[in-house]
Amino acid sequence: MGLGTMNFLSPFAFAFAAAIPVVIVFYLLKRKRVVKLTSSTVLWRNFLAETQASRPFQKLRHNWLLVLQLLLLALAILALARPYFPGETRGSRLRVVILDASASMQSTDAKPSRFEKARAEALRWVDSLRDLDQMVVLLAGAHTVVKQSATSNKPALRRALELCAVTDSPTRLGEALRLAETLIKNQADAEIHLFSDGATPSLAEFENKNLPLVYHRVGERCRNLGLVAMEVRANPENAAQRAVFASVYNPMTNAQSAELELQFDGQTVEARSVTVPPTNTLPVLFLAAQSRDGLFTLRLNTPDDLAADNQVSIVSLLPQPVKVLLVTRGNRFLEKALRGAPQVELSVASSLAAPATGFDIVVLDDVTPAVWPAANLLAIHTQPTNWFGPLANVEVPPIVDWKSAHPLLRYVGFDNVQVREALAVKTPAWGMALVETPRTPLIIAGEVDHRRVIWLGFDTLQSTWPLRISYPIFMANAMEWLNPANVNAALLAVKTAEPFRLVMAEPPAAAQVIRPDGQVASLILPPKTTEIVYGDTTRQGIYTLKAGTNRVVFCVNLMDAAESANAPRPEIALGKYATAAANTRQRANLEIWRWIAAAALLVLMFEWWYYHRRTV
Amino acid sequence: MADQLLNPDLLRRLEQFQLLARRRSKSTAKGERRSRARGQSVEFADYRPYVAGDDLRYLDWNLFGRLERLFLKLYEEERELPVRIFLDASESMAFGEPRKFDFARQVAAAIGYVALCGFDRVSVIPFPEHPEEAAWRGGLRAVRGRKSAREFFARLSQLAAGGPAIFNEALRRGALEARQTGPAVVLSDFLDPAGYEPGLNALVGRGFQISAVQILAPEELTPTTYGDLRLVDAETGDLREVTFGRYRLKAYQQTVANYCQRLREFCRARGISFFSVNSETPLEQLLLKQLRQAEVWA
Repeated sequence: MGLGTMNFLSPFAFAFAAAIPVVIVFYLLKRKRVVKLTSSTVLWRNFLAETQASRPFQKLRHNWLLVLQLLLLALAILALARPYFPGETRGSRLRVVILDASASMQSTDAKPSRFEKARAEALRWVDSLRDLDQMVVLLAGAHTVVKQSATSNKPALRRALELCAVTDSPTRLGEALRLAETLIKNQADAEIHLFSDGATPSLAEFENKNLPLVYHRVGERCRNLGLVAMEVRANPENAAQRAVFASVYNPMTNAQSAELELQFDGQTVEARSVTVPPTNTLPVLFLAAQSRDGLFTLRLNTPDDLAADNQVSIVSLLPQPVKVLLVTRGNRFLEKALRGAPQVELSVASSLAAPATGFDIVVLDDVTPAVWPAANLLAIHTQPTNWFGPLANVEVPPIVDWKSAHPLLRYVGFDNVQVREALAVKTPAWGMALVETPRTPLIIAGEVDHRRVIWLGFDTLQSTWPLRISYPIFMANAMEWLNPANVNAALLAVKTAEPFRLVMAEPPAAAQVIRPDGQVASLILPPKTTEIVYGDTTRQGIYTLKAGTNRVVFCVNLMDAAESANAPRPEIALGKYATAAANTRQRANLEIWRWIAAAALLVLMFEWWYYHRRTV
Repeated sequence: MADQLLNPDLLRRLEQFQLLARRRSKSTAKGERRSRARGQSVEFADYRPYVAGDDLRYLDWNLFGRLERLFLKLYEEERELPVRIFLDASESMAFGEPRKFDFARQVAAAIGYVALCGFDRVSVIPFPEHPEEAAWRGGLRAVRGRKSAREFFARLSQLAAGGPAIFNEALRRGALEARQTGPAVVLSDFLDPAGYEPGLNALVGRGFQISAVQILAPEELTPTTYGDLRLVDAETGDLREVTFGRYRLKAYQQTVANYCQRLREFCRARGISFFSVNSETPLEQLLLKQLRQAEVWA
């Protein structure tokens, strides 16, 4: 059996070897003697004989050098004994360290920042590991990254921690905890150490898991104002203007004032002083003329702890007329509603034989096209599709629920809408049921094959809906939601850590992304792909994508109220009843021999200094 | 020349002193000292019966009148006192500020002057012997009479310190050479590596009345050079490596005190008058106080 490669658990202890040349230098210094002519050395000979050891033992006299050397020896022996403060567990242990890398960890209430402080504390935990203890390092941003798998190699752990970087993304501790839970499964003595400020969405799924979670809280206070929403729309009252909606969130318990500045392509459009009530969100509306496609940026000038949420940018494209093809056997309600929608150029046909390439939106009203159009689609009571499984009919389905938060159902209600008959389907994976009855969804919206589709499961003429005010509003919402320009504009604003996607007409030869910090990332594209996906959006700011001749600017924003509320939580709630309280006590076998050895080194230095000082 | 060694005021005061001899002079030369010899003086000593050939002038006729026997009156013979001064002129005496040798020469001059004023014979024996000085060193031997003082001082001033002291050898030879014993003064730092005991013992054994004056330099009592030192003996070339600092000064001074104390005890045990002085010590203090208190002179 061959011997394995020798490893060192504390290789940095070799740094003490740096003291060796120092000692040698001291010895070199000592050897230099001054030659002096003297009348007689008789007295000196006697002096040396009396002061040096003429007998094997002499009376022990008080000598600071002796005291220092004894102290040095004691420290060295103590260090060799490798003392530690006793812990509560024995044997090999597993520690899973989760480092929260969300935006709120950038808060500077803990110097230099919460993240740096958390990292420093985690590094101290590495120092406290015993030889056989293992540690895993997880970095929890929007996605959890395993920075270091289980190992007892302290330099590797330290390196992994040092390579961790904070992001602008919201906290997703659930994913990290799920991974940690898997890692500690079947481990007798394992602990999860979470270094975080506790700003996290619900972790109810861990309520009954009895996780050995130790929460190390970082952060001291809440002092922040944040932009949590921004949207640019056409001003309904003045088509030449754009309305910029924004929300400023104040998580503090006292009202805060700040200056809010709107810029268009770097030029200040308007600056306004706002006062946000305590623990409240203040909606702000700016009206600005826009003559070209450009970039609206909102900046909050306030000296708070968290700078990541003080700026939001959105790409705003000028509204373009949308070409809509209505394929119907005749529906005056629908036609009128569509014509009433803004920016719509409506064409009407009774059947569809060609792919309808010239149109942005195709509305199929109870017809089945011979050729399915490639454009975005509003399909009303269109039966033979491959979007669903087998279809059935349901009579007079009562509407029980609708998702009024969805942009399609903005200002749309179904309180007094009755439907005579509807197709019964199961909600497909690609879509979302917006209006539901007990047996079937009535309206489904989603994305199929890179195009948006709204599917209505009933004939509107067989319902009371066209007579209601919600009908034209829904159609206007639908035209806006299906408008490819709006779709693209929506794609140009992504939240941090969410991927940016862009569908090109032709597969690009090469693509590059210029990040907010100026770094250029070249994308490796699969051959013949027309969709570019860029996922490294953990830092907010303005990104530029260059693909072939195309140049697309997109914005990555945090806009997360949970992150803006950067108060460090005293405990992390795991569901309703379970919590993990912030831990201030370190349960670890802290080896201190290095400190003792360092002290011994200092004593040695002091001894030499003292010795030389006395001889001069 | 005399001014360089001793100032006139001190000379004047020294003229009043006379060396005290504990024993009667054994010299054969006439002088002013009482001796065991019978001779011609005014001091009556004894009677002895007349034998044929005696000088009839010394018969005591009054006694003859009473006893009808002839007795001769004997008088004490007054003879000179031979004073020997052993002067250490080795290299080690050239050290110190003021130089130990200068101090020693002054003491030798003072003792010599006192002896000359008392019509005693003074011999200065510098050691080691320098061949180049041999020609005129004779001028320091057997000097008599006050009128010789000027030349005596001049010769002393010409002496130079150098070479290794062979202390014991010099004293032993001095003891053997002396035909008559008398007061002997040893002026040295007593720092010969071979020790001082055989030399002093030789003098004591010959019957000298010895005064030992140890002269040390201030630098030897309180060294002012600190650090890691390599000390070179000026006489022998002996090397000593010493790490010395203020913290060891007391220990060093204790060593010096021990050394002097051993010398003092050695001297006391042999009836030697011992004086230990610093070359900075005012000359008057040694001459007018210490030597007087020790009854070297009065």
